[in-house]
Amino acid sequence: MEILKVENLSKVYGTGEARVEALKKVSFSMEKGQFGAVVGASGSGKSTLLNCIGGLDEADGGKVFLSGRDLFAMGENERTVFRRRNIGFIFQAFHLIPELDVEQNMIFPLLLDGKKPDQERVEELLEVLGLKDRRRHLPGQLSGGQQQRAAIGRALITHPALVLADEPTGNLDSRSSQDVMDLLCRASRHYQQTVLMITHNRNLTASADRVFQVMDGRLKELGGGQNETLS
Amino acid sequence: MKHYLDLIKISAGQRRKENRMTRLCIVLAVFLVTVIFGMADMEMRAQRIQARKTDGSWHAAFQVEAEQGALLSARPEIRRAARYGTLNYHLKDGYLLQGTETGVCGFDLEFQEMIPDARVSEGTFPETDREAVVNENIRARLGTGVGDTVELTTPGGDTKQYLVTGIAENTALTAELDAFCIFLNVDGFLDLYGEEDSADQELLYYVEFRPFCRIQQAIDEISRQFALSPEQVRQNAKVLMLMFQSGDLYLMQLYLVAAVLAVLVVIAGVFMITASMNSQVAERTGFFGLLRCLGATRRQVIRFVRREALSLCRTAIPVGAASGVLVVWVLCGMLRLMSPGLFEGLPVFGVSWPGIAAGAVVGLITVLLAAGAPARRASRVSPLTAVSGNAGTVHAAKKTAGTRFFRIETALGIHHALGSRKNFFLVTGSFAFSIILFLAFSTAIDFMHHAITPLRPSAPDLYLLREDQTNEIPLGLAEELRGYPGVKRVFGRSHAEFPLEGEGQNVIVLSYDIQQFQWAEGALIEGSLQDAVDGKGVVSVYRDGNMSAPGSFVKILMGEQEQEVPVTGVLGDVPYNYGLDADTGQVTDLVICSEEMFQRLTGETGYAVLDVQLRRDATDAQVQEIRRAMEEACGSDVVYSDRRIRNQETRGASYSMSLFLYGFLAVIALIGFFNIINNIAMSVSARMREYGAMRAVGMSTAQVTRMVVSETMTCTVFGVLFGCMAGIPLNRLLFRWLVTSRWGDAWSVPGRELMVIVTVMAVSACLASAGPVKQVRKLPINLLTK
Repeated sequence: MEILKVENLSKVYGTGEARVEALKKVSFSMEKGQFGAVVGASGSGKSTLLNCIGGLDEADGGKVFLSGRDLFAMGENERTVFRRRNIGFIFQAFHLIPELDVEQNMIFPLLLDGKKPDQERVEELLEVLGLKDRRRHLPGQLSGGQQQRAAIGRALITHPALVLADEPTGNLDSRSSQDVMDLLCRASRHYQQTVLMITHNRNLTASADRVFQVMDGRLKELGGGQNETLS
Repeated sequence: MKHYLDLIKISAGQRRKENRMTRLCIVLAVFLVTVIFGMADMEMRAQRIQARKTDGSWHAAFQVEAEQGALLSARPEIRRAARYGTLNYHLKDGYLLQGTETGVCGFDLEFQEMIPDARVSEGTFPETDREAVVNENIRARLGTGVGDTVELTTPGGDTKQYLVTGIAENTALTAELDAFCIFLNVDGFLDLYGEEDSADQELLYYVEFRPFCRIQQAIDEISRQFALSPEQVRQNAKVLMLMFQSGDLYLMQLYLVAAVLAVLVVIAGVFMITASMNSQVAERTGFFGLLRCLGATRRQVIRFVRREALSLCRTAIPVGAASGVLVVWVLCGMLRLMSPGLFEGLPVFGVSWPGIAAGAVVGLITVLLAAGAPARRASRVSPLTAVSGNAGTVHAAKKTAGTRFFRIETALGIHHALGSRKNFFLVTGSFAFSIILFLAFSTAIDFMHHAITPLRPSAPDLYLLREDQTNEIPLGLAEELRGYPGVKRVFGRSHAEFPLEGEGQNVIVLSYDIQQFQWAEGALIEGSLQDAVDGKGVVSVYRDGNMSAPGSFVKILMGEQEQEVPVTGVLGDVPYNYGLDADTGQVTDLVICSEEMFQRLTGETGYAVLDVQLRRDATDAQVQEIRRAMEEACGSDVVYSDRRIRNQETRGASYSMSLFLYGFLAVIALIGFFNIINNIAMSVSARMREYGAMRAVGMSTAQVTRMVVSETMTCTVFGVLFGCMAGIPLNRLLFRWLVTSRWGDAWSVPGRELMVIVTVMAVSACLASAGPVKQVRKLPINLLTK
């Protein structure tokens, strides 16, 4: 079942001499439960691609379909609500709310949606993430790996159609990085969760079902499925 | 945690320090409004107390016949009505009590509720037409007491005997005129008229309307019903004004001015809080971006910022209101201390509920209004800012700093101030607002100077005057009185009038003692007073363009002999109206000399007027002693006047209004001060990371200081410019409404007020830079860049 479909996605920054084409008609799709990894050099357009897919940034051309809904056909407010229900974000710098403890951070997207958290789901996630005994800790009291695990919990709590992870291991040591990768794989396998991850570490792509490379705004599939570069 | 808004409560505990500035701003705004409205309320109460004491609590008086009077009293909107009439008001009609002209007032018992001056301090109100209440003057001078009988002779020669049932305190007027006055009931008063038909016509119906009645409308209806001409209706203008029930156009203008000022105060509060909250939002761009990233809608972010601001109100409003109340207490205490008799009804620890309510409501509304813009700003934060890593840094600059004319650090400082146009207008706007507010309120001071003449330092409490203006009050009396208990100062003036040589005009010569010359120093326009004190000449008084310049001579004809007197100086004004004929408008020249010179010129030793100033604790018994001494020395050819009550009223009105208005101005200056300090501190703290980076690449602390100072100064200079551009025309407009329309004075640029507020702003700007600079200096560079 196709979860994500990207068609001719283009993004341009600046004008005149400062004009940079960050994405050049990128197209690809992902099935439910697939774990995709995007690699590429710094400034190649990886993050721009992720931000456009996540609806954080507007594209200049092309379409993004998530669960069959055109992201850019929605109004700003509708897109925000759709995003919080269907997309989970994991950032390199964790971006947990410093005033909230682990559990509160995890359930925060649900609260924004006015929903009551399912306590069983919370317990299960805390167990899976290995944060059960850290649930009342503030982010400042946790290690980097623990913080990122809490962020993964926050991304998964809403059962999103797609999890977007931007360099999730970029701020972590190798052991914590492996833990995080294991968790993302587990999420993909265990919860049939579609995950798209950006990384500059090629070693981490080993666990991915599909690996894409972004170079000068163009996307090329390196392994797994067929090449879907369009230019 | 059950709702995303619960984050506010959780984060408030963690962000206590960051919220301090915003909370302080709310406290200040609420404090300002509470103080201003509280002071206005207390001032109104003080004025009401004073107005009731001096003018009574009646609202209107109607000259109607008895039948109409009965109908009037029965009207549902009338709370109480009483008849009042007076005879021999000018003490010239021949109603005599033991040979002394006596004023006669007749009224119903109810009248005492409306006019405190009519109250009986000892004994009871007359019940029959043969009973009377006498005033304090009669008791003091004739020794009449309750139970005695007095005999009143009418102009027709009849005598009427009255049993004295009570004693009434002197009023300001009877004390000043040293007048006898008796109170009768209405039957007794009508009886005095005998067969005269017009007796009823002399009675006025004083009425007090019920609360919440629309008084002007009721007066119009009554006038229509009884076909009364405007001359037959009186209104207690002061009391009605204080009840906001006056129909007077000028008073309407006053209300309008008060409304304009109240709106200005609210806008000042909005500016303060908005600036503070904007800085806070700017600092938390990353956080709001994250919220958006996690799926918070714009509306949710707006709600979050608003709720957060309101949560700050929970402590800030009570603190602001409490400090406002405290200041109002201090001011009330000061009023009571300065004028104890007059403001004894004013509670020291009175709570002004309108003040608190205004503070709380305005604080709340202000916060909601002020939170609007930052909330919208926060809601517009792109979710990208959280993930891009640009959160928390300053906005991308659109223009380069102008380094052509300034050194780099100064150019950067100016650029920081002007960089964000919106922020620049907000900050300079709030600075400008302090100036606008100050200039707007300062017109009220001009109004006060016109409306209330303060008591001059030379104003006597008692004075003795020769009606024929001959200098027959012995000099020795002054010396003798100085030794009396309760006496603070005694000074006299001798008076003489001489023809001027060749001009067919006269000149009045007055003598001053050293003390009076000292008081006159402030009025000296030209020349020297000392020469006059030393007896080397006279000082002339500027009157209607008439004056003799210093160095000239006044040529006086003394009988056949001509005498040349040198003029040593010119006074702009004297507190006396010698030589001014109010009826004809004729003005006689006036010169003042020393007592010795007066004796040399006239050969007369003695005063025409003797003034006595009393100590604050002087008792009535001591005053009676002084009076006896005066009468013994001067006999009965002198006029004695007791101005204590009048002085107290003047002093009280002047004190309360000065305290109120200068208090306002002080609070406004304080707002300007805090505003600048707050804005600059916020601006610096928002750029702390940038400053850290600059320090890291080699900027010295002196350069950082210069950068912050130039940013502060840029905002202040533009704030002052904008403030003047808007404040001066507003000052002019309000001046026209308040002063020109009534007293005709032309408006001039308020230079002194401008100087005061600009100095306050400049000093605040210097102090505002000092704190943050110290903060930047203290932090190690590596901490700043983290």
